[in-house]
Amino acid sequence: MINYIWEFIFNKKTASGSIQTALKNSYLFSQLNSRELRFVEKIVHIRQYRASEIVFRQGEIGVGMYIIAKGSIDIFQERGENSSEGEEEQVHITRLSEGTFFGELSLVEENGCRSATACAQEDSTLIGFFKPDLLEVLERNPVIGVKITFKLAEILGQRLRATTEKVSQLRSHIRSNTAPREMSAQ
Amino acid sequence: MRGGNNYQIKRERIIKLIVVLLILVMAMSIVLLVENMLASFVIAFVISYLLSPLVSLLERTGLSRNMAVVIPFLGVGTILTAAIYILIPVIDHQLASIRSEIPTYIEGTTRLISKTEQYLNEFAGAFHKFDIATTVQNKLVQWSASIFQNIPTLLSKFFTVSLLAPLFAFFMLRDGKGLFLKLLELVPNNLFELALHLQHQINSQLGGFVRARLLESAIVGGVVWVGLASIGFPYSLLLGITAAITNLIPYIGPFIGAVPTVILAFVNQTSGMTLTLVAIVYLVSQIIDMVVIIPLVVARIVNLHPVTVILAIIIGSEIMGILGMIISIPITSIIKLTGVSIYNHLLGFRASDRV
Repeated sequence: MINYIWEFIFNKKTASGSIQTALKNSYLFSQLNSRELRFVEKIVHIRQYRASEIVFRQGEIGVGMYIIAKGSIDIFQERGENSSEGEEEQVHITRLSEGTFFGELSLVEENGCRSATACAQEDSTLIGFFKPDLLEVLERNPVIGVKITFKLAEILGQRLRATTEKVSQLRSHIRSNTAPREMSAQ
Repeated sequence: MRGGNNYQIKRERIIKLIVVLLILVMAMSIVLLVENMLASFVIAFVISYLLSPLVSLLERTGLSRNMAVVIPFLGVGTILTAAIYILIPVIDHQLASIRSEIPTYIEGTTRLISKTEQYLNEFAGAFHKFDIATTVQNKLVQWSASIFQNIPTLLSKFFTVSLLAPLFAFFMLRDGKGLFLKLLELVPNNLFELALHLQHQINSQLGGFVRARLLESAIVGGVVWVGLASIGFPYSLLLGITAAITNLIPYIGPFIGAVPTVILAFVNQTSGMTLTLVAIVYLVSQIIDMVVIIPLVVARIVNLHPVTVILAIIIGSEIMGILGMIISIPITSIIKLTGVSIYNHLLGFRASDRV
């Protein structure tokens, strides 16, 4: 408790500087000038996570996205129950480092569920930007809101393009694997 | 996942949760126990919900948050002062008229009572002798005595609330977001998204509800005022204001609002034609309310069963009187929303109960 108060009071100034830098370095807010970044800084949420602390779980209703200001985050996918121990099997998907973000799909989804579990790999500082915050920005300062929404659309578009490419690669891979088998069966 | 930090994480979460709950309980205690605080806060919330769209609109033009909050307060203050200057002579004239016509009303009331007494005694005189005049006289003496005793308290309450409510509303609009962010910083990480989601839902539902109810009351009050004035019924403005205020109480409110008009009509021995027209005015105001305003504006915002609404009003009136009746619906709506969200959240967590 004492540690928490100590960190909360005395790390405020440095935190503010690094938060602005983290926002500026994030692709979603990269088009904003310093005045606009100050506006966003007053709206976002700064969260501290201990190593191995869950940020969100797969299946939970997502409210928004997180930018990693400090530390790193592991992304896992839960794959049903492991029959031997009765626990859910977790598959490590990726490790995200400083400057990257995750959970952005929740900004546009209506009651969308998290598709994976996010867990702090080390003590981390995350900047939370959520749907109510995006709506507030759009209502109070539509210029900033449009810049953010446009970038968000760009990100989602890139993700969609990557997914489509992956799907077509997989399809051609499956076709090339099944074709010789069919030939040999005939 | 690693479990080395689990104990520390759980300990921090419990400490944070206790701190947040303590802050909320303290705030609730202050609001409920300190005199005039509840009424001031309710009115402050209403003012802030009414002005927040205007504040956002001004912010969009490039004004700072401070200026965007100050300008509506100055504007509303000026409009209210002007309205008071315009309406006070009208209200004063109607009050003076009531004063000058009090002997007529007393005479009318006495006649009404004696007539009623006569009818009742004709019907049931053999079983029971009615003495309404004495009963009413005693009640009136008690009532007037209590009013005179309570006038200083009521006046001090009125001035305190009318000073505190705008002040609270101003700070809610200017610093509300910052204060909420500070409180959210203390919410444990596992409950943070739930708290944020809940606050957003409650805020948007409550804001919509307050704006819709006030618009509804203003329309009903306006229809009653114009309707009564057009048929030449006395004190139409005062009766319109009464109808607007009582209309804030669902279901029962419109009937309470019509009571003064009905009494006035009987005491004045209004003709059957005027009485029918008065009934039509109130009926039209309620038809507009039920057919147009409630389905289009209010019902979309608060989704509560009519039985729940009636129960909430009864409980509200038992606990806090008229104020309780007015605020019972939004409070029930908040309780329902919070309950459903927490239940869904807990169900989601039951599947995997880890850190």
